[in-house]
Amino acid sequence: MARGKDKKKRKLEKKQEGDDVPKKIPHTLESLREKDETTLATAEADEQEEAQKDMELDELSSYFENSYEPKVLITYSDNPHTKTRIFGRELTRIIPNSISRYRQRSSVKRIVQSSIREQVTDVIIINENQKQPNGFLLIHLPNGPTAHFRLSSCKITPELRKDFKEITNHRPEVILNNFSTRLGLTVGRMLGALFHYEPQFRGRRAVTFHNQRDYIFFRHHRYEFTSDGKRAKLRELGPRFTLKLISLQQGTFDSKRGDYEWIIAGRRHQLETSRRRFFL
Amino acid sequence: MLLTEDKEIDLFVASRIGSFKHVKYHTNASKNSKKCIENLVDIKSLKKDDSILHMDWGDDKQTEILLARKNRQIESYNTEKGLTKSYTATFGEGNIIGVARCDSRIIAGVASGVVQIWSESDRAIENPDVIETKGKLDCLRVWQHSNVFATGGEENELKVWKVGEPSPTFIAKNLPHDWLQLRRPVWVSDLTFLEENLLAVCSRHGYIRLYDTRVQRRPVSSIDTPGLAATCITNGFEERQVFVGFGRGQLHQVDFRKSRLDKGYKGAAGAITSVALCERDRLVVSASLDRHLRVHERESKNCIYKQYLTSKLTGVLVQTATSTPLKKAESEIKVEEEEEVTVKVDETDDLDEIFDSMETISERPRKKLNPDPLATGEAKKLRPSLEGSTVDTDEDAILKLLKSTEKTRKKREKLKRAKKEKSLFFNA
Repeated sequence: MARGKDKKKRKLEKKQEGDDVPKKIPHTLESLREKDETTLATAEADEQEEAQKDMELDELSSYFENSYEPKVLITYSDNPHTKTRIFGRELTRIIPNSISRYRQRSSVKRIVQSSIREQVTDVIIINENQKQPNGFLLIHLPNGPTAHFRLSSCKITPELRKDFKEITNHRPEVILNNFSTRLGLTVGRMLGALFHYEPQFRGRRAVTFHNQRDYIFFRHHRYEFTSDGKRAKLRELGPRFTLKLISLQQGTFDSKRGDYEWIIAGRRHQLETSRRRFFL
Repeated sequence: MLLTEDKEIDLFVASRIGSFKHVKYHTNASKNSKKCIENLVDIKSLKKDDSILHMDWGDDKQTEILLARKNRQIESYNTEKGLTKSYTATFGEGNIIGVARCDSRIIAGVASGVVQIWSESDRAIENPDVIETKGKLDCLRVWQHSNVFATGGEENELKVWKVGEPSPTFIAKNLPHDWLQLRRPVWVSDLTFLEENLLAVCSRHGYIRLYDTRVQRRPVSSIDTPGLAATCITNGFEERQVFVGFGRGQLHQVDFRKSRLDKGYKGAAGAITSVALCERDRLVVSASLDRHLRVHERESKNCIYKQYLTSKLTGVLVQTATSTPLKKAESEIKVEEEEEVTVKVDETDDLDEIFDSMETISERPRKKLNPDPLATGEAKKLRPSLEGSTVDTDEDAILKLLKSTEKTRKKREKLKRAKKEKSLFFNA
């Protein structure tokens, strides 16, 4: 029988069977993902308790106790081009209480030192290559950790035919999706700690970090509930970009002499053993 | 029957949140499970500054462990009795970087460069000897619990001291300037005694050096590892061999005679914080910042054991002299052990019996043992006739089987019909 006919038949049969048959969920790389032993949700009770304690005691815990308001410095590699500059400035509009400064040929370690002095809590350094932003270094102060991401498919608002003026000054809501392993949790917490812990719901702005297959997708929306209040309409405000973790370091930036908590450089083939293995 | 004997190795692991664990590692891989891990400190009671910075054996019998915490508590843990004593270090500034037992006294150093020695009998620190090492400290090690110890740190060269003497007995000298006439930076991140006069030093600036205090102040051998920041070092299995862990997760055996990195042990995704060896079984045990404890085989370099321990690990110790049972499941383990013991007794009593039993189980020897081939032939012929079932018991069983198969067939047909009726094409 020809394949087309067969398909028609199957469709008809499906209609006949009606709704009582449960819908099949297709397999994806994520649903078939290799089990990670560090996932918090599947761990045993005492292990969960220890992980909880670990998070209560780590460097980011003071943010989650709401003890301070985050203050963020955004800077660039030397002589950034237009796209990177605009991208950085848009980030300052997204992240409350953040400033954008040019680097002035200062070293990262000196930036860290002076930021600690100025009571900045997080530093973002955007690297650029061939006029495209390609690196995203996130340093939590004063005692680390430091995360280094590869930044890709960055679209700033003019490229999306949007206007950055639409971004209001309200503090956004932050959505962190799919950070499940222990490493993913740390990364998610770091990204969450950039924003003020108390969103202004009046602004109806939502910032999403969605992790899918170790790629972290950033989207920025304004939402509006429909009149029946069941659904929300979304309007993207931009920018959008994708992050991929390269390394996570203990302490502030010291790529030569520091201790890494997780680094993929040089051991990609050891770690990436299968297509279904994800780290975040 | 596996002839490989299962050996148990006791590992003690300290972590950055302050938890302290006892892991019983079995060389027989199938016996390793989460049951073999035991918390020795109550996790609920941990506070912010409880993280364990340094851990070392307190005696040669390996029953006492000295722990240095970030809140400047120095605790002595006995593997049989539990926590016994604790002291508060009030001297100097900065974190405690090393604790050790030194001639039945306790020695501790802090990051600002002060080293203090006090006798253990007192609960509080009394009449201590204070030594100012001048400069930052990163490590302090004692030569086999004697009165000789060595210190080193960032921009603070290796120094060997004797307790009671105000000045060091040996101060290392940096290598000459490089070919650009620039001074080489110094950072002793960890050191180890190979012999009393032979010390190995590793650095975050990427070098591993061997000093002989009898010969010269400059290193006898220096190995450069550019781009690799060494974090920890331990004695190797043979002389002039050490194991070095690096900040990017590498772990290498280093041979000073070949003067190069020798064997690489892969697997860690984060910095190695501590290495320990098991001499008896030739195993390399490493703790890493990626929260995993790993055991490698020395020769084959394979990772034979890997365990996630929930928090960032800072230290690991291997107990080789003695062994300690797990507290949690002591009773269960005892029962198991008894069973094992009985089995073992049987084995040792007479091996012949075992072999006899083995022969009866297997089929081939049976044929050989059978004296006349005719008998076997008869048996073979008889078998099918038996299946024809003249015996009553067999008949009943067959009837049952037939009935059940018929039933299932009917059911299936019914289902098929129902499905067909449902489908549109059948109706049409």
